[in-house]
Amino acid sequence: MLVKVMAFASFREILGRERELELKAGSTVGDLLDVLASTNRRFKEAAFEEPGQLREWVLLMINKKRIDPFQDLGAELHEGDEIAILPPVAGG
Amino acid sequence: MRYSLPSPGADGRLIKITEEDFSLDEMVRAAKRNDAGAVVTFLGTVRDDGIVEMELEAYREAAQTMLEHIQEEAESRFNLKSVQIIHRIGLLSVGDNIVAIVCAAGHRDEAFQGCRYIIEELKSKVPIWKKEIGKDEERWV
Repeated sequence: MLVKVMAFASFREILGRERELELKAGSTVGDLLDVLASTNRRFKEAAFEEPGQLREWVLLMINKKRIDPFQDLGAELHEGDEIAILPPVAGG
Repeated sequence: MRYSLPSPGADGRLIKITEEDFSLDEMVRAAKRNDAGAVVTFLGTVRDDGIVEMELEAYREAAQTMLEHIQEEAESRFNLKSVQIIHRIGLLSVGDNIVAIVCAAGHRDEAFQGCRYIIEELKSKVPIWKKEIGKDEERWV
Protein backbone atom coordinates (compact mmCIF):
# COMPACT_ATOMS: atom_id res chain seq x y z
CA MET A 1 0.00 0.00 0.00
CA LEU A 2 1.04 3.56 -0.62
CA VAL A 3 1.09 6.14 2.17
CA LYS A 4 2.14 9.78 2.21
CA VAL A 5 4.82 10.88 4.67
CA MET A 6 5.12 14.57 5.49
CA ALA A 7 7.83 16.14 7.63
CA PHE A 8 8.13 19.65 9.00
CA ALA A 9 10.78 22.02 10.34
CA SER A 10 13.86 20.10 11.55
CA PHE A 11 12.41 16.81 10.29
CA ARG A 12 11.71 18.34 6.87
CA GLU A 13 15.38 19.23 6.60
CA ILE A 14 16.24 15.57 7.12
CA LEU A 15 13.45 13.74 5.29
CA GLY A 16 12.18 16.25 2.76
CA ARG A 17 8.75 17.84 2.87
CA GLU A 18 6.71 15.04 1.37
CA ARG A 19 7.19 11.58 -0.07
CA GLU A 20 5.18 8.52 -0.91
CA LEU A 21 6.20 5.26 0.62
CA GLU A 22 5.24 1.73 -0.34
CA LEU A 23 4.57 -0.40 2.75
CA LYS A 24 3.43 -3.97 3.23
CA ALA A 25 -0.29 -4.36 3.86
CA GLY A 26 -0.98 -4.33 7.59
CA SER A 27 2.02 -2.11 8.39
CA THR A 28 1.75 0.05 11.48
CA VAL A 29 2.94 3.55 12.36
CA GLY A 30 5.86 1.93 14.18
CA ASP A 31 6.77 -0.07 11.05
CA LEU A 32 6.77 3.13 9.00
CA LEU A 33 9.13 4.86 11.46
CA ASP A 34 11.41 1.82 11.42
CA VAL A 35 11.58 1.92 7.62
CA LEU A 36 12.50 5.62 7.72
CA ALA A 37 15.08 5.07 10.48
CA SER A 38 16.69 2.14 8.67
CA THR A 39 17.13 4.14 5.48
CA ASN A 40 18.08 7.49 7.00
CA ARG A 41 20.65 7.66 9.78
CA ARG A 42 20.09 11.34 10.51
CA PHE A 43 16.38 10.67 11.03
CA LYS A 44 17.17 7.75 13.30
CA GLU A 45 19.45 9.88 15.44
CA ALA A 46 17.04 12.83 15.52
CA ALA A 47 13.85 10.91 16.28
CA PHE A 48 14.93 7.95 18.40
CA GLU A 49 16.35 7.86 21.91
CA GLU A 50 17.43 4.29 21.26
CA PRO A 51 16.22 1.64 18.80
CA GLY A 52 12.44 1.37 19.03
CA GLN A 53 12.11 4.25 21.49
CA LEU A 54 11.03 7.57 20.05
CA ARG A 55 12.20 10.76 21.70
CA GLU A 56 9.42 12.04 23.94
CA TRP A 57 9.04 15.33 22.07
CA VAL A 58 8.37 13.81 18.65
CA LEU A 59 4.81 14.52 17.47
CA LEU A 60 2.89 12.40 14.98
CA MET A 61 -0.31 13.02 13.07
CA ILE A 62 -2.33 10.65 10.92
CA ASN A 63 -4.63 12.35 8.45
CA LYS A 64 -4.07 15.63 10.33
CA LYS A 65 -5.10 14.20 13.73
CA ARG A 66 -2.61 13.92 16.57
CA ILE A 67 -1.83 10.42 17.78
CA ASP A 68 -0.04 9.41 20.94
CA PRO A 69 3.46 8.30 19.88
CA PHE A 70 3.67 6.00 22.89
CA GLN A 71 0.22 4.40 22.74
CA ASP A 72 -0.55 4.31 19.06
CA LEU A 73 2.59 3.09 17.31
CA GLY A 74 0.76 -0.19 16.74
CA ALA A 75 -2.07 1.53 14.86
CA GLU A 76 -2.49 -0.01 11.43
CA LEU A 77 -2.03 2.25 8.41
CA HIS A 78 -4.25 2.23 5.36
CA GLU A 79 -3.80 3.00 1.67
CA GLY A 80 -3.57 6.76 1.16
CA ASP A 81 -3.00 7.66 4.82
CA GLU A 82 -1.06 10.88 5.43
CA ILE A 83 1.45 10.56 8.26
CA ALA A 84 3.13 13.72 9.51
CA ILE A 85 6.29 13.79 11.63
CA LEU A 86 6.71 16.97 13.64
CA PRO A 87 9.05 18.51 16.20
CA PRO A 88 7.51 20.47 19.12
CA VAL A 89 5.38 23.36 17.85
CA ALA A 90 6.60 26.94 18.28
CA GLY A 91 4.21 29.35 16.60
CA GLY A 92 2.95 32.70 17.81
CA MET B 1 3.11 49.11 2.11
CA ARG B 2 0.13 47.36 0.56
CA TYR B 3 -1.83 44.89 2.58
CA SER B 4 -4.04 42.22 1.25
CA LEU B 5 -6.57 41.29 3.86
CA PRO B 6 -9.28 38.79 3.11
CA SER B 7 -12.65 40.00 4.29
CA PRO B 8 -14.11 38.28 7.29
CA GLY B 9 -17.48 36.60 6.88
CA ALA B 10 -20.70 38.15 8.10
CA ASP B 11 -20.07 36.40 11.43
CA GLY B 12 -16.81 38.33 11.80
CA ARG B 13 -14.69 35.19 11.55
CA LEU B 14 -11.37 35.19 9.80
CA ILE B 15 -8.64 32.59 10.11
CA LYS B 16 -5.68 32.82 7.82
CA ILE B 17 -2.19 31.39 7.50
CA THR B 18 -0.44 33.54 4.95
CA GLU B 19 2.88 34.69 3.49
CA GLU B 20 1.55 38.24 3.30
CA ASP B 21 1.60 41.02 5.87
CA PHE B 22 -1.61 42.27 7.44
CA SER B 23 -3.01 45.45 8.91
CA LEU B 24 -4.12 45.27 12.52
CA ASP B 25 -6.16 48.45 11.96
CA GLU B 26 -8.11 46.73 9.20
CA MET B 27 -8.73 43.75 11.46
CA VAL B 28 -10.00 45.93 14.29
CA ARG B 29 -12.28 47.79 11.89
CA ALA B 30 -13.73 44.49 10.69
CA ALA B 31 -14.11 43.17 14.24
CA LYS B 32 -16.38 45.94 15.49
CA ARG B 33 -19.98 45.00 16.18
CA ASN B 34 -22.94 46.94 17.50
CA ASP B 35 -23.30 44.36 20.27
CA ALA B 36 -19.58 44.42 21.16
CA GLY B 37 -18.29 46.95 23.69
CA ALA B 38 -14.73 45.64 23.75
CA VAL B 39 -12.12 44.70 21.15
CA VAL B 40 -8.88 43.17 22.42
CA THR B 41 -5.92 42.60 20.11
CA PHE B 42 -2.72 40.62 20.39
CA LEU B 43 0.12 41.31 17.98
CA GLY B 44 3.20 39.09 17.98
CA THR B 45 6.32 40.47 16.27
CA VAL B 46 9.83 39.28 15.52
CA ARG B 47 12.10 40.12 18.47
CA ASP B 48 15.76 40.99 17.97
CA ASP B 49 17.55 38.16 19.73
CA GLY B 50 20.65 38.80 17.69
CA ILE B 51 19.04 37.26 14.63
CA VAL B 52 19.19 38.33 11.00
CA GLU B 53 15.91 36.73 9.93
CA MET B 54 13.26 34.35 11.14
CA GLU B 55 11.74 31.58 9.04
CA LEU B 56 8.23 30.42 9.84
CA GLU B 57 6.78 27.16 8.61
CA ALA B 58 3.36 25.56 9.07
CA TYR B 59 1.64 22.26 8.42
CA ARG B 60 -0.87 24.48 6.78
CA GLU B 61 -4.00 22.35 6.46
CA ALA B 62 -3.67 20.89 9.95
CA ALA B 63 -2.91 24.32 11.44
CA GLN B 64 -5.94 25.86 9.75
CA THR B 65 -8.26 23.15 11.10
CA MET B 66 -6.78 23.42 14.57
CA LEU B 67 -7.15 27.21 14.62
CA GLU B 68 -10.81 26.81 13.61
CA HIS B 69 -11.36 24.49 16.58
CA ILE B 70 -9.60 26.91 18.94
CA GLN B 71 -11.71 29.77 17.60
CA GLU B 72 -14.96 27.85 18.09
CA GLU B 73 -13.96 26.87 21.60
CA ALA B 74 -13.00 30.47 22.44
CA GLU B 75 -16.26 31.82 21.04
CA SER B 76 -18.37 29.49 23.13
CA ARG B 77 -16.29 29.74 26.34
CA PHE B 78 -16.00 33.53 26.38
CA ASN B 79 -19.09 34.55 24.45
CA LEU B 80 -17.06 36.32 21.76
CA LYS B 81 -18.89 38.23 19.05
CA SER B 82 -16.10 38.01 16.49
CA VAL B 83 -12.67 36.40 16.26
CA GLN B 84 -9.92 36.95 13.72
CA ILE B 85 -6.61 35.13 13.66
CA ILE B 86 -3.86 35.72 11.11
CA HIS B 87 -0.50 33.93 11.31
CA ARG B 88 2.29 34.61 8.88
CA ILE B 89 4.74 32.10 7.47
CA GLY B 90 7.85 32.56 5.35
CA LEU B 91 10.94 34.66 5.89
CA LEU B 92 10.52 37.59 8.32
CA SER B 93 12.81 40.32 9.63
CA VAL B 94 13.13 41.90 13.08
CA GLY B 95 10.03 43.95 13.85
CA ASP B 96 7.83 42.20 11.30
CA ASN B 97 4.36 41.05 12.26
CA ILE B 98 4.07 37.33 13.02
CA VAL B 99 0.58 36.83 14.40
CA ALA B 100 -2.50 38.89 15.16
CA ILE B 101 -5.54 37.91 17.19
CA VAL B 102 -8.55 40.22 17.42
CA CYS B 103 -11.46 39.37 19.71
CA ALA B 104 -14.65 41.39 20.10
CA ALA B 105 -17.01 40.75 23.00
CA GLY B 106 -19.80 42.44 24.89
CA HIS B 107 -17.45 43.35 27.75
CA ARG B 108 -13.69 43.62 28.29
CA ASP B 109 -13.25 40.61 30.59
CA GLU B 110 -14.54 38.23 27.93
CA ALA B 111 -12.49 39.86 25.18
CA PHE B 112 -9.25 39.78 27.26
CA GLN B 113 -9.79 36.18 28.35
CA GLY B 114 -10.72 35.03 24.86
CA CYS B 115 -7.66 36.64 23.29
CA ARG B 116 -5.36 35.18 25.95
CA TYR B 117 -6.90 31.75 25.54
CA ILE B 118 -6.41 31.78 21.78
CA ILE B 119 -2.72 32.83 21.81
CA GLU B 120 -1.86 30.28 24.52
CA GLU B 121 -3.65 27.47 22.66
CA LEU B 122 -2.03 28.52 19.39
CA LYS B 123 1.47 28.51 20.89
CA SER B 124 1.08 25.14 22.56
CA LYS B 125 -0.87 23.17 19.95
CA VAL B 126 -0.89 24.55 16.41
CA PRO B 127 1.70 23.00 14.05
CA ILE B 128 3.78 26.08 13.25
CA TRP B 129 7.54 26.36 13.72
CA LYS B 130 10.13 29.14 13.87
CA LYS B 131 13.76 29.04 12.85
CA GLU B 132 16.09 31.78 14.03
CA ILE B 133 18.63 32.62 11.36
CA GLY B 134 21.73 34.34 12.71
CA LYS B 135 24.88 35.53 10.95
CA ASP B 136 26.68 32.27 11.59
CA GLU B 137 24.08 29.75 12.67
CA GLU B 138 20.46 28.70 12.36
CA ARG B 139 18.30 26.98 14.93
CA TRP B 140 14.71 25.83 15.28
CA VAL B 141 13.20 27.20 18.46
